[in-house]
Amino acid sequence: MTSADVPPVVARSGDSVAIGQIGIAKGSGMLRTFVGSCVGLVLHVRSHRAAGLAHIMLPASNGRGTPPGKYADTAVAETLRLLREAVGESTLACTAKLVGGATMFEFQSGTPIGEQNVLSLERILGDLGIPITGRLCGGRHGRRLAVDVITGTVTVETAGQGTETLA
Amino acid sequence: MTANDTRLAAIFHHGAADASSALAKWLGRPATLSVERLETLPIEDAAAVMGSSETLICGCAMRIDGAIGGLLLLAADDDAGLSLADTLLERPAGTSTSWGDLERSAVIETANIVGCAYLNAICAALDSAGTDGILPSPPVFLRDFPASVMQAVLMEQPVLSDIVLLARTEFRIDGTPVACGLVFLPDAAGVAALLPPTSDPGGSE
Repeated sequence: MTSADVPPVVARSGDSVAIGQIGIAKGSGMLRTFVGSCVGLVLHVRSHRAAGLAHIMLPASNGRGTPPGKYADTAVAETLRLLREAVGESTLACTAKLVGGATMFEFQSGTPIGEQNVLSLERILGDLGIPITGRLCGGRHGRRLAVDVITGTVTVETAGQGTETLA
Repeated sequence: MTANDTRLAAIFHHGAADASSALAKWLGRPATLSVERLETLPIEDAAAVMGSSETLICGCAMRIDGAIGGLLLLAADDDAGLSLADTLLERPAGTSTSWGDLERSAVIETANIVGCAYLNAICAALDSAGTDGILPSPPVFLRDFPASVMQAVLMEQPVLSDIVLLARTEFRIDGTPVACGLVFLPDAAGVAALLPPTSDPGGSE
């Protein structure tokens, strides 16, 4: 168990969010994951010191929805639901950050899946009126990200490129 | 073990044997590849097969089109990759300390030779089933987090299923294990070619 008041919705390690999964924590602690073409969606509720991290693979569920963290549309809805449940409020004032969506292989053609994921999330979050306050997307390299549950600050290490902070 | 499992194992072992010959010839010394894991996995488990180390790995990826399409990845930790480059460039061990154009080229060519031998052998083993061969892309070099690399491999496929077929092969050079592996993730058509519906539904337990 981590120091978070609410255990993340992930198995085992408690603070590492696997592909297609959603992690939720409240009070304190960190949520972490690695992304490549996938996108890490961070939703933070500053007033309740709560954060959700969804590790999204694909831009749309198209009728499929399991696991919900796998698809942009279902991941946003499920992360919001879990956050509402964690803080005990029916409405939330939250902000979003996006990390990932890299095009790691040069032979990818058309609109790369990572870019599609980012575009889909921008549209969904825009429709919901959730502001995107930070992003580090695209490029050719994977990223390791860590979310501070208290502040919502996201520390991003890009492979071979150094570390940046999304405050 | 089912009849399909047995058939699949034989096909991939055939691929590993031919790839061993190609690698040994390319290196000019004894080298073997052996099938370490051949399994169907939930996608989250497949994404984790290379671990979650923060240490970067190097690799070369090839997209495969044709009868058994998919993505082939030759991956190694940095030291093993640079050591491989030294061997191929006929330099004393430890000469290569970073990834310049020459070192990258050496590893890319290794991926090309080993990967094509591996897949051609698999295709040949499937020929009796009426396959049409393969068309590999030029290998792409990358150096990245292992988890990110594996995610990108999975994302290259149309991820219609939550279960993937994954074949992992390990390397030995001069009889010594090398921190280097070959991962093949067939696409849906590839899985259909490799795992045809069996007329022996119960298999042979």
